[in-house]
Amino acid sequence: MSFLREVQLEREFGPFVVFHEALGFTPNLLHAQSSLPRLIEAQAKLENGVRFNAGAISRIQKERILLSIAADRQDAYCVAMDNTVLSTLGVPDEQIDDLLNHLPSADLSAAELASLQFCLKLSRDAPSIQLEDVEELRAHGFDDEAILESVALTALAIYRCTLSAGLSPELDFAPRKLSFAKSNSAREKTYRLLPFGHVRARRKGPYVPAPYLSPKTFAPFAIIEKSHGFLPNFFRAQTLRPDLLEAQLEATGWILQPEDILTRVQKECILLAVSAANLNSYCVAMHCNLLRGLGMPSEEGDQIAVDYHASDLGPSDKALLDFAIKLGTRASEFSREDVVHLRTLGFSDEQILETEVVTALNNFANTLQMGLGIEPDFVPPPVFQQNKVQLSGGATTPMQGEGAVQLVDILRDADAELVSQAQGGSLEAFEELVRRHTQLVYRTLMAILGNPADAQDAMQDTLLSAFKHISGFQGRSKFSTWLVSIARNTALQHLRGRKNVESLDEGECKEDRDFRPRQVRAWQENPEQCHSKTEIRQLVEAGILALPTKFRVVVMLRDIEQLSTDEVARQLGLSIPAVKTRLLRGRLMLREWLSPHFTASTRGAVQ
Amino acid sequence: MITCEEFLAEFGDYLENRVSPEIRQELESHLSQCRACQVLCDSTRKTIKIVTESSSFELPQCVSDPIIERVMAKLRTDRSE
Repeated sequence: MSFLREVQLEREFGPFVVFHEALGFTPNLLHAQSSLPRLIEAQAKLENGVRFNAGAISRIQKERILLSIAADRQDAYCVAMDNTVLSTLGVPDEQIDDLLNHLPSADLSAAELASLQFCLKLSRDAPSIQLEDVEELRAHGFDDEAILESVALTALAIYRCTLSAGLSPELDFAPRKLSFAKSNSAREKTYRLLPFGHVRARRKGPYVPAPYLSPKTFAPFAIIEKSHGFLPNFFRAQTLRPDLLEAQLEATGWILQPEDILTRVQKECILLAVSAANLNSYCVAMHCNLLRGLGMPSEEGDQIAVDYHASDLGPSDKALLDFAIKLGTRASEFSREDVVHLRTLGFSDEQILETEVVTALNNFANTLQMGLGIEPDFVPPPVFQQNKVQLSGGATTPMQGEGAVQLVDILRDADAELVSQAQGGSLEAFEELVRRHTQLVYRTLMAILGNPADAQDAMQDTLLSAFKHISGFQGRSKFSTWLVSIARNTALQHLRGRKNVESLDEGECKEDRDFRPRQVRAWQENPEQCHSKTEIRQLVEAGILALPTKFRVVVMLRDIEQLSTDEVARQLGLSIPAVKTRLLRGRLMLREWLSPHFTASTRGAVQ
Repeated sequence: MITCEEFLAEFGDYLENRVSPEIRQELESHLSQCRACQVLCDSTRKTIKIVTESSSFELPQCVSDPIIERVMAKLRTDRSE
């Protein structure tokens, strides 16, 4: 019996038919998920897209990758299943033995051996994958599609192994040979694993080219844009294979969208915590952002990434994360007792099953991201990054479990010393802090309130409020970020009395992106020379004040206060893509505003 | 060749030098053939330059000092009470 409750599904159930046609049987791994058939649909989508459909890599080659990873992870269920599949595809028993015991004797081409070694390295130690590993595959004649497929197959293998550990389905076939474990040391030499210290802080990616796909013509992109508010690099990086993207999107839809068992927030917390345990800062940043969209304050998301035990989550949610992290990062230690423990805390079998599948999906996504070197959309929480740097120095294995990410280091902030004095009651220290950031506070207030008298009033309130609350500032962000958040709240309170308050929220409306430039005449060579500095400043100030608030705030901080885009995102609690969209829109509106004064023909005259 | 719409979709990243070399090449080959986007790109760059160099919304010290002094005075009285 597998760990969780099963029900009898019809043989004609669509995903069963898919597997029956491809393999000649329906794996027990699917039956073990039968209490939530939609999760079987999800796995069928992934397997169909990545494994069964014809692609750049031959079917036998794909099966050899799956078997090798299952063997490497000592997953008896997947090994028994995959070696039977390979046999039915005509691979001789001797070669299967060699795949399990000693790769170099398996009579494979140099290219296929290289690809197996790449996949095993990705599976064992994803953070160590570098551009060089991908280049090595290219040197063996793999094209970009084959590389993308290898990464996706590794991700799929890990998805299946995670599920098999969590569900413990009965073997589909008697184990013909399970001697792979004993000769591990001989295999070790064949993989050129780099010590973990070699991980670079930033790797160049993405590793395969991503042709442009428009959300207008590729429907899945429109859906992703709608759910994320923008198009994350995670999806953009896979445009070489729209079919794989579609399969992932459908699978993700079956797993994450319904809220009948676990809530969306619970699922995002699992994805966040397991990504953090996998040291995947890309996915950490993405799920922090999604949680923020679901109404969780960004500090709380950061806290879950760094150490969820210290977060505001309830005890049962924390236990759920303990469970998911153990399954996701230490599957070999996972046992029926872990399942029983969750049951005693009141979790249903369906909730446990969904947790396991979300964890498997997380490992799938983490593997894809690392294997493709997908570049971040957001700044990951600073504390988390800092931990990562600390870890890579001393740790010997990439997956340290939850203990490793708990060391919280205080951020290096030039204001830290003064802040602690001010927290100790020093008014002089507080005054110095205030003077350092006067312009930043004023410009934030001007941006939101739009007139100097109100901004100056609000400035006084901001500073008083900052002093009142400074003892509660815990140093999880920079002091200036915290001060700006107080200024923002103060300004919003001032606005409350006014009519037609414009929203600063994350939400993007259609008009944000459909903005079309109207003035198309060329500008003078050196436009600023025909006007005095004062004239230009008045013109710019008037133009900025004419912008809708949400664009004005971004332009003010980025172009006037000259913070980096990342910093603006942090200060305003927006995602980087949202900042970028608004910044461009604001700049284009300013361009329209300034155009009549600077076009070549008008020489400053307003037309 | 990419359309003006596709150019606009990447324009923000292009201005900030945040596009990959492949996309940059596509954008620049579009620019070399599209006068409207050329004008847009040139004038937007000039806009950014003008805006960043304008020192707009600078709060002069003669305005900020009295505000800070008022705040500090209030904090001192609060403390002595």
